[in-house]
Amino acid sequence: MSPYRARSQVPVGALQGALGAEHAAVWVYGVVGAFVPDALSRRLAEAATAHQARRDATQRILIDAGAAPVPPEPGYLTPEPVTDAASALRLAITAETDAAAAWRSVVERSPADADLRGTALEALTDAAVRATRWRATVGATPLTVPFPGAP
Amino acid sequence: MLTVGTALLLTGPAVLTGCSSSARAPSAPDPLESPARRAEADAALAQSVVQTQTQTNPALAASARALAEDRTTHATALRAELRRARPLPTATSAVPPPAGPAPAAPDPSAARTALAQAARAAQDEAAGLVVTLPGYRAALLASVAACCATHAALLS
Repeated sequence: MSPYRARSQVPVGALQGALGAEHAAVWVYGVVGAFVPDALSRRLAEAATAHQARRDATQRILIDAGAAPVPPEPGYLTPEPVTDAASALRLAITAETDAAAAWRSVVERSPADADLRGTALEALTDAAVRATRWRATVGATPLTVPFPGAP
Repeated sequence: MLTVGTALLLTGPAVLTGCSSSARAPSAPDPLESPARRAEADAALAQSVVQTQTQTNPALAASARALAEDRTTHATALRAELRRARPLPTATSAVPPPAGPAPAAPDPSAARTALAQAARAAQDEAAGLVVTLPGYRAALLASVAACCATHAALLS
């Protein structure tokens, strides 16, 4: 597939948003690991690995489409200071919620019948499930939202 | 709005006198009809689990209540989109009630399994539609699929 053709079918703006969310999530899980008990380390590592894989895959899609992938920000502002396990996990929930929204946008803007829709749906679903599991861990309610990723 | 209201008034008597919807709507059913019915059936199933488990298994009842609420919200949104897309056929097809829920098993383990299976099946159906539908509907079904996945994860 030529870069020109790929670019015409790929929602570059939405994908750059998803890549930005994945960069942020990778950063967040680096922060969260310093605050949570060892018992959660395996789940944290799985989440971090998943976001790194999404980040790398998204960069490849953008490059194949002839776009320059956005780089990570030099730093990120957190909605609240991260001082303990609970605030760290709330930050993880925020990162997953942001990722879900970004990937839902990719679903909405992708052409029908494309592999990209499936990839974006999988990323949205994984982020929603991780957000729900972290809510269960910190005792946040409700555990679920009816439309993950919806504005 | 005015146009839709007028059209509904004009066709109301025809519906009441038993005009069959198949004769009036030759086109295929809207692809959102099935997920809308499924959302209604799941909500009813989950609500029946709430009723049988509240006293004996409050944790399962709480999970079921959350599922019932989210699936009710899904049904409302899907019905709204169905009405927006096809005001008249949806108005007539809404007349027959949805299939009743499967009876909720009194056994908590079986009830939990039934809810998890329903959530997983709803996720699969919605995910299958995401690939083919136009953007707005694809995003709606994507969120439905993701939500059902979160319930399946909690119930598994």
